[in-house]
Amino acid sequence: MLRNHFKIAWRNLVKNKGLSIINIIGLALGMAVVILIGLWINDEVTYNQNHENYDRIAHVLLNRTANGETRTRTPIPFPLGEEIRKKYGDSFDYVVMSSFHGDNILSIDNKSLSMYGGFMEPDALRMLSLKMMYGDWGGLKKPNSVVISQSTAKAFFDDINPIGKFIKVNNLLNVVVTGVYQDIPFNARFHGLEFIAPWELYVTSHDWVRYARDNNLWDNNSYQLFVQIADGTDMTLVNAKIKDAIYNNLPDYSRSHPELVLHPMKDWHLRSNWKNGVNIGGFIQYVWLFGVIGLFVLLLACINFMNLSTAQSEKRAKEVGVLKSIGSSKRQLINQFLSESFLVVVLAFILAVNLVFLAIPAFNQLADKQIIFPYKNMLFWLINVGFILVTSIIAGSYPAFYLSSFRPVKVLKGTFKAGKMAMTFRKTLVIVQFTVSVILVIGTIVVKKQIDHSKNRPIGYEKNRLVMIEKVTEDYEGKYNTLRSELLNSGAIAEMSESSSPLTDVWSSGGGFEWEGKDPNFLTNIVTVCVSHDYGNTVGWDLVEGRDFSRTFSTDSTAFILNEAAVKYMGIKNPIGKTIRWNNQEHQVIGVVKNILAESPFEPVKQAVYMIKYNNTNWIELKLNPYKSANESLAAVKTVFNKYIPNVPFEYQFVGDAFAKKFVAEERIRKLSTVFTFFAIFISCLGLFGLTSFIVEQRTKEIGIRKVVGASVFTLWKLLSKDFIMLIALAIIIAVPLAYYGATHWLNNYEYRTEISWKVFAISGIGAVAMTLLTVSLQAIKIARANPIKSLKIE
Amino acid sequence: MIKIKDLEKYYKTEELQTIALNKLSFEVKQGEFIAVMGPSGCGKSTLLNILGMLDDSDGGSFIFNGEEVINYNERKRASIRKHNIGFVFQSFNLIDQLTVFENVELPLIYTGVKKAERKKKVEAVLEKMQIMHRRKHFPQQLSGGQQQRVAVARAVVNDPKLILADEPTGNLDSSNGNEVMELLTELNDQGTTIIMVTHSEHDAKYSHRIIRMLDGQKVTENSLV
Repeated sequence: MLRNHFKIAWRNLVKNKGLSIINIIGLALGMAVVILIGLWINDEVTYNQNHENYDRIAHVLLNRTANGETRTRTPIPFPLGEEIRKKYGDSFDYVVMSSFHGDNILSIDNKSLSMYGGFMEPDALRMLSLKMMYGDWGGLKKPNSVVISQSTAKAFFDDINPIGKFIKVNNLLNVVVTGVYQDIPFNARFHGLEFIAPWELYVTSHDWVRYARDNNLWDNNSYQLFVQIADGTDMTLVNAKIKDAIYNNLPDYSRSHPELVLHPMKDWHLRSNWKNGVNIGGFIQYVWLFGVIGLFVLLLACINFMNLSTAQSEKRAKEVGVLKSIGSSKRQLINQFLSESFLVVVLAFILAVNLVFLAIPAFNQLADKQIIFPYKNMLFWLINVGFILVTSIIAGSYPAFYLSSFRPVKVLKGTFKAGKMAMTFRKTLVIVQFTVSVILVIGTIVVKKQIDHSKNRPIGYEKNRLVMIEKVTEDYEGKYNTLRSELLNSGAIAEMSESSSPLTDVWSSGGGFEWEGKDPNFLTNIVTVCVSHDYGNTVGWDLVEGRDFSRTFSTDSTAFILNEAAVKYMGIKNPIGKTIRWNNQEHQVIGVVKNILAESPFEPVKQAVYMIKYNNTNWIELKLNPYKSANESLAAVKTVFNKYIPNVPFEYQFVGDAFAKKFVAEERIRKLSTVFTFFAIFISCLGLFGLTSFIVEQRTKEIGIRKVVGASVFTLWKLLSKDFIMLIALAIIIAVPLAYYGATHWLNNYEYRTEISWKVFAISGIGAVAMTLLTVSLQAIKIARANPIKSLKIE
Repeated sequence: MIKIKDLEKYYKTEELQTIALNKLSFEVKQGEFIAVMGPSGCGKSTLLNILGMLDDSDGGSFIFNGEEVINYNERKRASIRKHNIGFVFQSFNLIDQLTVFENVELPLIYTGVKKAERKKKVEAVLEKMQIMHRRKHFPQQLSGGQQQRVAVARAVVNDPKLILADEPTGNLDSSNGNEVMELLTELNDQGTTIIMVTHSEHDAKYSHRIIRMLDGQKVTENSLV
């Protein structure tokens, strides 16, 4: 019986080639999109699962409250690690203090490479369950050791076992390799960690860290803390226990009330946003969003199948009549039709798997992933078998029940006509398809507008030809004037400066500012940037009042330049010449600059003060000579740097590139949603095309008659398109409020956001109507031009 | 009014070519009533389609009202058709979704007649065909004879100079058939040229002239007047 079902199913497919192809391609695209989104979601939710105890590891974050607003930050004070170990040790397996990870210079003999890494306490290896290729998890116990990644080992030692070899860190510390771990996978927070050196070494080699340790500095937050809670303990309970660990040691801080928060490793990637001290999700919203989009795309493809199958019903009615009259039961007919949909779905799936296989490299690039097609994974195939069955049932159920319910006598007598209900159902399906498509189009446009809006906002400096170099080691100390004059003489640059924070980030902020008229209860928090005299000229900031720093005024060593946000924050009128007290010192305001956008382009710029300080700078800024090519200038710069700082490889980045990185996440969302929207539209149009061909076929006779009595091609085209335009108009009416709601909700994530203008809806609507007309017209014009005697002969 | 000369038409399939019209020539004068007869497949319907400018010929000449129309494109032919020719089919070919009134109104819409004028004309012709009382009904609600009267009404509502009828009584019983033939005769008396394809010798007697065809050729032509 089953064989017979499939035989008939196959012959039907072959007989209606055109429709079968539309069906299979539509479904295959839908399934391919779903499989891709499925792989993407799987990748997103399995982040950090390479660490065996990932469900017990947490990052210790710090909530601090100022003026009624709580902010959640990563840096914690030095003594916290020891305090937790001592007082709450029972609740933890491991407590690991860590430096912030960044680029450091590793070198052997005359080979120097910039490597991303950091300093961590010895339990880090065990806590992260790193897969050791050489050495073991005890590798960081001795202070003069280093554990390196597989690729670092390869870069320095090729394939030789490097245990026992010496490496220099930041041209200062000689350490011995005690372990090599396999590279950390791509979808992990610690991916790209190229070495880990002992925490102890960090302390002894950095004066300011040692100072923090020796003086038990509880109010200087510059480090990170990772923990693994003990087996059988509850993260929330442990969190409650330790939350006041800092506050207990800083009773004076009752107003800012520092409070610890455990951020579980499983939430690091998808739930990393905080508002008023509470986790408010994060990227997880996109995982949900794309999950829903995936389901919708599949639904659209299934709708096509239902639509086209029921559209064929009049043709199939006779078959049903014959089968019923020779004794087929309704159940057997249902099976027959389900077999057909199963066959189509299996064919579509085979096509889809091939499409996914081909699309994965491009998709990985688009989504910045390293997803591998899991063809060896049994679970993947098992899920897909389920996926095929579910899709067959969704796609096949309606046609099966609808077609099998035909009454044989009516059908065989030829008085059968597809009911009004069936037509209404089909129209509903088209409306659903276009509603989804229009929503996706509007969403994609809004994302793009938001990105453009934020990209075009003023940044307060001139990023053109501006290059930044991080001073990763001590080698740069005391060489500012030499470097600057040499570079200026070479003609490679127009100006050079140094600063404590990069132009595209904020590295320090602090409180304790006092000024005339300040409310004594107001807790200040202001971004502080230490710069050299030439900073303004180099970055091209925009002075709105007063003057820039100048070497001619010796008093400028204590002068402040404020940004406009700071003037507003302090509420000072006529700020020039006013005095601000900070760290028991008086600072005179000499200038006000336009806000420099350093942090998120989606948020307002924070209040900042700029001051002259040469011994606390981490970055060099270079304004390349505008009359020379960048390549030429950079080559000259490199020569000078190699001359004066021979032990550090010359590495630079354009500020423009660093700035563009701020949009990476949003750009990725935009690209992904563009692709998925395209597929949704394509599948919808495919469905519309199929439905039009059916309707046109049904109305062939009518069109023939109209033609004979004088209708022109244009009038017929109008007649056929009108109905569809009505459907699409309805879809737009449904889609617009839904899309408006969704887009507003999304934009609320951003403080600096675009307005949703009516134009977005107009463009999407016009686009949808245009696509519909195009799709419908292909068929409508064909039939309108056809010779009417052919259609009238059908009788 | 119509003059065809050496008209040819082939139907090609993959294997063979069938000749539907083989160098057919004849003339029809204004106001004539012609019956075309012959066995099935002799090319009668093909001839009617070409005369109605619904189909192309494969050669020969076709002069309509003094104009050579053989090479006219679709749009020009449609325009001539719209203003000059009415069709009556064996299977009526009414549009099921439209009422009697709307079916008859259709040609007037396509020739751009104003609404008020359309109403007047349609009502006049329905009155004449004696189906005014049925104007709000749909075709399925009418008898065959009534449906054919609607079809004739639709064919003449635009005052065409020529009516092409393809076995107009083929689907009707004899009394309904006679009624339709009376109608056509009446129209002819008022000056409309009629060319009718028929199997019925009885119906053919209503005409002025009978053209008998076989295998795409004219075999005899006998005048009844």
